[in-house]
Amino acid sequence: MRKLILSTIILISCITNVFCQAPNADFLHSIGKIYVVVAVIAASFIGIILYLVSLDKKLTKLENQIKK
Amino acid sequence: MVQQLFWLLKKEFTLEWRQKYSLGGIFLYVGSTIFIIYTSFIKIQPNIWNILFWIIALFTSVNAVAKSFVQESGYRQLYYYQTVNPVLLLLAKMIYNTILLLLINVLSFSLLSIVAGNPVKDYGLFSVAILLGSIGFSFAFTFVSSIASKANNSATLMAILSFPIVIPIIMTLVKIAASALRLLQDTSVWKDIAILFGINLILGTLAIILFPYIWKE
Amino acid sequence: MKLAWWKILSVFIILYVIIVGLLVPLKQGITAVTPSSLNAGTSVDLKIIGYNTKFNSDSKIRVWLKQDDEHALESNKIAVSNETEITASFSIPHDLPFDTKVKDFTLVVDNAIEGTTVLPNAIYITKNDTIKGDFVNAKIENLTKANAITFPFRNILAETIRNTYFHVPLWFAMFALFFTALINSVKFLRTNDLQYEYKAAGYTYTGLIFGILGLITGAIWAKHTWGAYWSWDVKQNMAAISVLIYLAYFVLKNSFEDREKAARLSGVYNIFAFMAMIPLLFVIPRMTDSLHPGNGGNPALGSQDLDKTMRMVFYPAVIGFILLGFWLSEIKFRYEILKAKVLEDLE
Repeated sequence: MRKLILSTIILISCITNVFCQAPNADFLHSIGKIYVVVAVIAASFIGIILYLVSLDKKLTKLENQIKK
Repeated sequence: MVQQLFWLLKKEFTLEWRQKYSLGGIFLYVGSTIFIIYTSFIKIQPNIWNILFWIIALFTSVNAVAKSFVQESGYRQLYYYQTVNPVLLLLAKMIYNTILLLLINVLSFSLLSIVAGNPVKDYGLFSVAILLGSIGFSFAFTFVSSIASKANNSATLMAILSFPIVIPIIMTLVKIAASALRLLQDTSVWKDIAILFGINLILGTLAIILFPYIWKE
Repeated sequence: MKLAWWKILSVFIILYVIIVGLLVPLKQGITAVTPSSLNAGTSVDLKIIGYNTKFNSDSKIRVWLKQDDEHALESNKIAVSNETEITASFSIPHDLPFDTKVKDFTLVVDNAIEGTTVLPNAIYITKNDTIKGDFVNAKIENLTKANAITFPFRNILAETIRNTYFHVPLWFAMFALFFTALINSVKFLRTNDLQYEYKAAGYTYTGLIFGILGLITGAIWAKHTWGAYWSWDVKQNMAAISVLIYLAYFVLKNSFEDREKAARLSGVYNIFAFMAMIPLLFVIPRMTDSLHPGNGGNPALGSQDLDKTMRMVFYPAVIGFILLGFWLSEIKFRYEILKAKVLEDLE
C-alpha cells in the first residue's frame, strides 16, 4: 500500500519533471497546450495500471501460499 | 439519567482533582509554549497572533483531551462497562473536556495577551469563537481519543486521526477571530458562526451515535 | 472474470470520452491583440492572432471594437496575413461615448464561415476630448452562427479545457467511492458481517488512489495554467486534507492485531471522517476565493463553466470513472475476502 503510493508519486513526478524541464516546456505548451492533456491522461492511466500491477503481485503471492 | 450524568461529571472532576499533577502539566505546557513564542517573536503582528493563538489552542487541546480515555485503567473500564450507559459516559467526558478546554483557552489567551499584547477588538465575537472552538475540539478529540485509546501507539494515532478532522474547525475559527480582531471587514461572520455551529452539531451527534460501537470492544 | 454489464459499459464510456474528448476541435479563439492600449484620435493597425482560425479561407471578415451593447467601432480595412493572423485598421475618433478617462473594449471578430469570436477586455482606449462629435456608431449585426460541434475556447486554458473530462471525474469518482464505503461501514456496524468491512476497505482504497491521482493530475494542469504545481488554492488544500484523512484510516486499520476490532474501529472512523470531509469539500471552498471555477459563492459547474457540448462528454466521463472505480474496488475486495479465507484455511 505505502510502497504503491510512494512509487506512483515518484514515477509520476519524474515524468512530469522530465516533461517540464525548461526546453520541453515549450513543447508542452505547443499546439494550445494539448500535451498537458496528454500528460494528465497518461498520469491517471499510469496510476490505475500501477494499482493493477500491485494487485497482480499480491495475487501471485496468495497463489504461491495456496500451493504450499 | 440526568442523575447518572451528574454523577459521571462529578467523578471526572474528582479524578482530575486527585491527579493535580496532570492538570498542572497541561498548564505548564501552555505556559512554556507561550514562553517559547515570546522568546522567538519580538513583535507579533495581529494576523500572526491570531494564527498562533489557534495553533496553541489546537496543540494544548489535543494534549489535554488525549488522556481522557487512555488514563482509565482496565478494571475501571470493565466496571463502567457493566454499570454505565455508554452514551452518558461519552457525554460526561465531552462536557468535562469542554469545560477544561475553555479554561485552558482562556488561560492561554490571557497569557498570550500579557506576553505578546492583546489585539482583540470585539470581545463578544472572540468569546464566541473560543466557546465554539472549545466545544468543537472537545467533541472531535474526545471521540477520536476513544478510538485511539484502543491501539498501542495511541499518542501518534491521536494526532494522525484528529488533525485532518479539525482543520475545517480551525479554518472557520481563524476567520471568525480575524473579524473579532478587525483584520477583515466581514459582514457574513454570522454565516461562519452558523457553519461552525453546524460542524460541532454534526460531530457531537455522530460521536453519540457511534460511541456505543466502540464501547463494545 | 466476473462479467457484469456495467464493467463493459464503463469501458465503452471511457473510450467514448477519450475519443470524443480529444477529437472534437476547440472553437476558434483570439489569443492576442497588439497593441493593447490606444489613444483616441489616432489611426492604428491592430495585429490579431487567432487560434484554430482559418482567416485565409476567402470568407468575409469583419472586426469591431465594442464598448457596450449600444456603442461600437468598426474596422475600415482588414488584411489577412495567414490563417491565424490578421491586421485590422481602425481610426479611433476623438470623442468617445464614455465618461471615464480609460475604457476597456471588447474585440469582436466575425468570420462569415467560422462564426463569431469575442475577446473581452482586449483593448484599452484613453480618451482625448479635443474634437467633439466625430464618433460614428457602428452596429454589430448579421453575426454568423457557427454550426460546428466544438468545445469553448478559453485564453489561458486553450486545449487543456479537455482536462475537465479526466481530472474532474476523478474527484467525482473518489467521492462516490467514499460514499459507497460509508454505506458499507454502516452496514458492517449494523450486521457485524465482516464481508461489508472488506467492501468498505476496498472502496476506500480505490477512492484514495483516485484522490491521489486527482491531486497529481490537478497539479500538472495547474502548473501549465496557474503557473505552479501547488498554488495553495483552497480546493487543492481541502483535497489534500481529505486524502490525509483516508490515509489515517488505513493507518488506524493496520494498527490492530485483531481483525474484528480493527474492522469495528475503522468502520466507526470511516463514518466520522466522511462526515468531517463534507464541510471540507463543499462548505469551506465556497467561503473563500479560489482559482477553481465554482467558488467564492458561485454555483459549481454553472453554464459559464460548462457549455452544452462539454456536458455531453463530461457527464458520461463522471459515470465512466465512477464505474471504473467500482470495478477496481471490486477486484480489490474480492482479493481481500479470498485472502482472509485462505489464511483461515491454512491455520
